[in-house]
Amino acid sequence: MLLLVGRLKLVFSVSVRNLRRQWRRNSILLFAITVAVGGVIVLNSLVRGMQVQMVDTVVENLTGHIKIQAKGYRDDPSVANGFEIDAEDATRNLEDLPILGWATRLTVPSVIMSERETRGAQLVGIDPTRESISYISNVRVEGSHVENSSDSRLLIGRALLNDLQTKLGRRIVIITQDAEGMSKEIGYRIVGVFDAQSESAERAFVFTGIEALQGLLETDRVTELSVRFRTRYVDQDDFSIVQQRFAGLDVLSWQQVNPFVAFMFETVDVVIYIWLGVVLGALIFGLVNTLITAVLERTQEFGLFRAVGMRPGIIVSQVVLESVILMVLGIALGLIGSSAVFAWLREGIDLSAFASGVDMMGMSPRINPAALPRDIVVVVVISLMLSFVASLFPALRAVRMNPLDALRN
Amino acid sequence: MSEAVVRMEHVSRIYGQGNVAVHALQDVTSTIRNGEFVCIVGPSGCGKSTMLHLIGGLDAPTSGRVYVENQDLAKLSRNQLSDLRLKRIGFVFQAFNLIPVLTALENVEFILQLQGIARTKRTARAMEVLQSVGLEHEAKRRPGELSGGQQQRVAIARALVANPILLIADEPSANLDSSMTRELCELLQRVNREHEVTILTATHDPTVMGYSDRQIRLEDGKIQHDDSS
Repeated sequence: MLLLVGRLKLVFSVSVRNLRRQWRRNSILLFAITVAVGGVIVLNSLVRGMQVQMVDTVVENLTGHIKIQAKGYRDDPSVANGFEIDAEDATRNLEDLPILGWATRLTVPSVIMSERETRGAQLVGIDPTRESISYISNVRVEGSHVENSSDSRLLIGRALLNDLQTKLGRRIVIITQDAEGMSKEIGYRIVGVFDAQSESAERAFVFTGIEALQGLLETDRVTELSVRFRTRYVDQDDFSIVQQRFAGLDVLSWQQVNPFVAFMFETVDVVIYIWLGVVLGALIFGLVNTLITAVLERTQEFGLFRAVGMRPGIIVSQVVLESVILMVLGIALGLIGSSAVFAWLREGIDLSAFASGVDMMGMSPRINPAALPRDIVVVVVISLMLSFVASLFPALRAVRMNPLDALRN
Repeated sequence: MSEAVVRMEHVSRIYGQGNVAVHALQDVTSTIRNGEFVCIVGPSGCGKSTMLHLIGGLDAPTSGRVYVENQDLAKLSRNQLSDLRLKRIGFVFQAFNLIPVLTALENVEFILQLQGIARTKRTARAMEVLQSVGLEHEAKRRPGELSGGQQQRVAIARALVANPILLIADEPSANLDSSMTRELCELLQRVNREHEVTILTATHDPTVMGYSDRQIRLEDGKIQHDDSS
């Protein structure tokens, strides 16, 4: 053990001095490692931030983490394909799970007519006291919000209001179908106009009280039960429990409700690892190149080491250690640099100039970096592993040299 | 008669193959005994360095056997050969071959560090050896700050620090002027007599030859003359 410690100290000391001997070259390499590691961490965090925001937007956008619907509703989203549920039953079935809340809604496709324009949108009957789980509870409202479940007035998004060329306080007509499939024309007064983060959310839905809408459509049914959990990602066991407790209904995850966003979510993981591979791959070429140069410059020295009795393993560990020391320093500086960037970006990056594009992706126009410890650990571990692997080739080259040829170099 | 430190039995070393084969050593048999100061002499390319390298385990013979302290070098693994060189054989090279990033003291000390000797003990021993070669005041200097003669003395100190039984010196005076060469020879002679280290050196230099007890003359890879015969 003493022998091993002594040799390690020697190897470390010689490695550090060798790095200092070529300080200019090694400083450039260190800078490259710092930029690569810091850059990968920052960019990964931004991409991860976009990913997180996509999930949050989808979950808040009336979907929740889990949406429960009657079987057949997705094929024919009408009141006829709704289901009846007692609030006490819902509470009993969900109260032992780590949820933030749940809400039932009656959502029907409708055509909205103003005095000038006609548009299609989803008419959503809500219980405002339960909507803390969705974006509609947090929107800025001009006028008044839907006050309770029996409120028969209408809350409309600003983008849709503009499309309809109408104003707050005016009346509009909504045509939809009741539970029997009969067309219903309902007159509503616009009492509130909301501003959401995305225009699509302002155009897609109009809101009224759920009991009032049930009364107008002559039904006791709801079309969905939306459940939001406390954590961003739902445990599969909890999902299975909900499926068991609501057997007979379609229990859907947000990924099933929004497959495009789910695909984007999964693609982000792939993008992160491809990006990591490209940057670190390029870095490793630089590292191998520098180490080979360093080994060739010290051919005679390695020959001497072999001649005086240094075991090949110690020579390998010396070259490997030089690479690992450089990488550890680069990683440390990269982490410090990325922390500085995160501090600078603490307000997020404003993408409102590309609002329609980011809206389409289900993101908010402001991206906040999300530095996940797991991602940072992956970058650090892979960088260290690559520095080890990259140094093996030059290290073995140093050992395979014939000591006599090396000494004559 | 003292014990044999090195024994070579019908040793040949051929480099290359076929028409380009070079017979560096041909059927050499010789014994070097404990405490001898032996010079291997002969013209360039006669096989002097090859003989030293075979004895030091840096190269392997094409045929024949080399024994150091009765150990057949062909039967030792790479790590065992490394350990033999580390603990029993000291090397001095023509080009000094010091490690440029280490001070004179560290260049001497690192052999003991490889052996796992504790810091205080190895520093004391390295200083003692540097003192014996007259370089105790240059201990903190790096090789680039020392003269050629001083560098060669550091190399000798490094070779002696582990108390080897055999010191192999390949053309140790090749890069030294005549006064430095005499100093070097006196040092080698003192090491040989006071510490009873067997010295085996390859040289062209008559000054070095003058300090030896025995000369082995090689020509075309064969022993032409051996003072002990």
